[in-house]
Amino acid sequence: MTKEIVLSLKNVQKTFGGTPVLKSINLDVYGGQIIGYIGPNGAGKSTTVKLMLGLISSFEGEIEIFGENIKESGPAFKKRIGYVPENGEIYDNLTPMEYLSFVGGLYGMEQVTIEKKAKELMRLFELDGVLHTRISAFSKGMKQKLLLIASMIHNPDLLFLDEPLSGLDANSVMIVKEVMDQLASQGKTIFYSSHIMDVVEKISNRIVLLANGKIVADGTFEQLQQQNKEGTLEEIFNQLTGFDKHKEIACSIVSVVENGDTNE
Amino acid sequence: MVIRMNEFMLLKVLDKLQPLFTKMDIDYPVMRQILQLKLTMDTRRVPTIFNDSNNKSGNQFLKSLAVYALMGLMLLLFIFGDNYLMQMSIYYAVVMFILMTSVISDFSSVLLDVRDKMILHTKPVNERTINCAKVLHITFYLVQLTIAFTAISLVVGLVQHGIVFFLLSLLILVFVNLLILIMVAFSYIFILRYFDGEKLKDIINYMQILLSVSMIVGYQLVIRSYNHVEFSTTFSFEWWQLFLPPFWYGAIYQLVLADGPFSSQIILLASLGVIVPIIALLIYIQLIPTFERNLEKLMSNNGQNKRASYWWSRLWEKVVIWNHEEKVVYRFAVSMLKNERDFKLKVYPLVAMSFVFPFIFLLNSVSFQTEGELGASNNYFWFYFSLLSIPTSVLMLKFSENHRAVWIFRASPMTNKKIVERSVLKAYFVRLFLPVYLLVGGAFCYIFSMRIALFLVAVLLATLFWIKISSIVYFQGAFPFSEEYKGSQSLESVKAIILMIGMGLFALIHYLIIFSDMYHTIFIVLLILANIILWRK
Repeated sequence: MTKEIVLSLKNVQKTFGGTPVLKSINLDVYGGQIIGYIGPNGAGKSTTVKLMLGLISSFEGEIEIFGENIKESGPAFKKRIGYVPENGEIYDNLTPMEYLSFVGGLYGMEQVTIEKKAKELMRLFELDGVLHTRISAFSKGMKQKLLLIASMIHNPDLLFLDEPLSGLDANSVMIVKEVMDQLASQGKTIFYSSHIMDVVEKISNRIVLLANGKIVADGTFEQLQQQNKEGTLEEIFNQLTGFDKHKEIACSIVSVVENGDTNE
Repeated sequence: MVIRMNEFMLLKVLDKLQPLFTKMDIDYPVMRQILQLKLTMDTRRVPTIFNDSNNKSGNQFLKSLAVYALMGLMLLLFIFGDNYLMQMSIYYAVVMFILMTSVISDFSSVLLDVRDKMILHTKPVNERTINCAKVLHITFYLVQLTIAFTAISLVVGLVQHGIVFFLLSLLILVFVNLLILIMVAFSYIFILRYFDGEKLKDIINYMQILLSVSMIVGYQLVIRSYNHVEFSTTFSFEWWQLFLPPFWYGAIYQLVLADGPFSSQIILLASLGVIVPIIALLIYIQLIPTFERNLEKLMSNNGQNKRASYWWSRLWEKVVIWNHEEKVVYRFAVSMLKNERDFKLKVYPLVAMSFVFPFIFLLNSVSFQTEGELGASNNYFWFYFSLLSIPTSVLMLKFSENHRAVWIFRASPMTNKKIVERSVLKAYFVRLFLPVYLLVGGAFCYIFSMRIALFLVAVLLATLFWIKISSIVYFQGAFPFSEEYKGSQSLESVKAIILMIGMGLFALIHYLIIFSDMYHTIFIVLLILANIILWRK
């Protein structure tokens, strides 16, 4: 398989009101990769994704997607991108069919195709009974499934998934993981951010760790293991982000819970 | 550290009754805490009656009571005179309507609070205590509301009809409150039995809209009909009166205060007023467990819902939509306008006003004119009052309960983001303004004959023109549905007033040139040009 660069960040920087969030990010992503994009809270993961999607338009440096600089190319590159947002923002007073028709339409799909695909995907995700029910009545897992469908309905070549498995039951998690695997082997690229290290460890064929606005590790899980002499991704994560106090903090919490206001 | 929460008068009164509650196997300190929490939350909720009020500081509930007291003034119409049966029936019809709609729109959240289940029922608190807190909470609210609404008219009644009238009214209001509470509860039981929670939320939403509309329109009508109110009609009994509670209570007044002899029908009506609430209460207590069970429906959805049909907007789609991207956003906007409850609550009353106002002002003029004179007059210019709802409605298009979901527009590959705004405006026009235009226009055609055809064309163009102008003033590049609902800020109110003044001047110019067909045609041509320039962008 020829290695086509799908996504390329060159010296990308972003500051919010004087505080630097991203300090010089450099990253090349190739077709068929599943990138586990991890980092502590506030490290700038979501910001990176938002920059690449064009949700935030002002930044330093260059981002190229499908070989085009997104500052200059206009919004057409977004046709080949799918996105699952972190907090599942969705117009929940619409029904799934209305929402999917709308999203599909924005990606330029034909109404007949959308409806056919939507019905089929909803059925496969076991949501066929609620095609015309308001999304606000959905459980967290149902909403998450819908967001996944909405991100894939237009057959994108690049997927940005922000905690895509949150709220899903174990069976659905297996389905989604398998779907990602198969999409990647078809040459599609998945950019996956999550806090659940076990999943990232198993699913990704490349892991990128962001801390304090910088990439501090980049490579396959095996490569990271060799570099850091640690067993699991969780431990590598702790080591690289310089966090070693979890035992002490836990001790304090337990002591407060048990002794409460006596405060001994 | 102690959490500071408001101390309420009610709680201090209840403290005195503590032994009574303890005897009823109620955990008083816990109930007191629940009640205190609920009352504190009430002070922070904005009642429907304040639909478009702006500052959210202070005790919203107390302020809304003042509004109810003001509205209560209309009850004075029915206090004077001694045709008790008729006038008190109308009195209670008004009281029951207002109290009922307001209970449904503002206190459904209490009756239907599913968070109670999650938060309270998971704690070691017994069921009795929770239910007692709930009942006290609603009773307390209803009593305050009733007092605020009826106090002035009751005092006037005391002066006018004496102490017996006053005490009787107090007693009857207790029954009325009981009846309202149970009627609301029964209708919820019924709805939840046959429909799912979403349907119930829709029904509550429509009740809220109805309350807002009746507030505005009812006022206009009451003020204007003041001169026409007469209670000289003698009462004749009809069987259907047995089913209308206001007549029961009118009959009680008749029985107690008027001189006999009384027909058996009046005695029947009066006794229903006492018996029905008591029976209803007994049935209700039996049904509470069923009610609680059905409440669970609110949390789950079990509906295989039917697909909504959008025949009206699809019909006009062919006329107003120019390309594929526009169609996508237009359809989306139509669903949003149909489904977003907050939007409906704020805009539907305005739409109702656009529909009613031209006729109210027209009726006002009718009293001075004969039918022939009216048909030949320029009174069709009242049509312009329909346009006054445009600025606020367009402003509301900027907001959404799901304003964060706007990322989808930014993440989409649309080439021209201006299309979004334009298509949403079109959806608003088709769904909310066009029906008003067609109905009022049709009626005016009937009243004033087809000679106003040119005028109607001009008004339609003016509508499009002002919708676009309002959007330019309010949107300024923002996406529709992209901001959180907040009380209208003063800057935006000022903008609305300026826009309305602009419309007024516009209507005035139109009025001045109407005499000449040539000027009128030029006026229309200019409007067409202006619309083309504005909407093409």
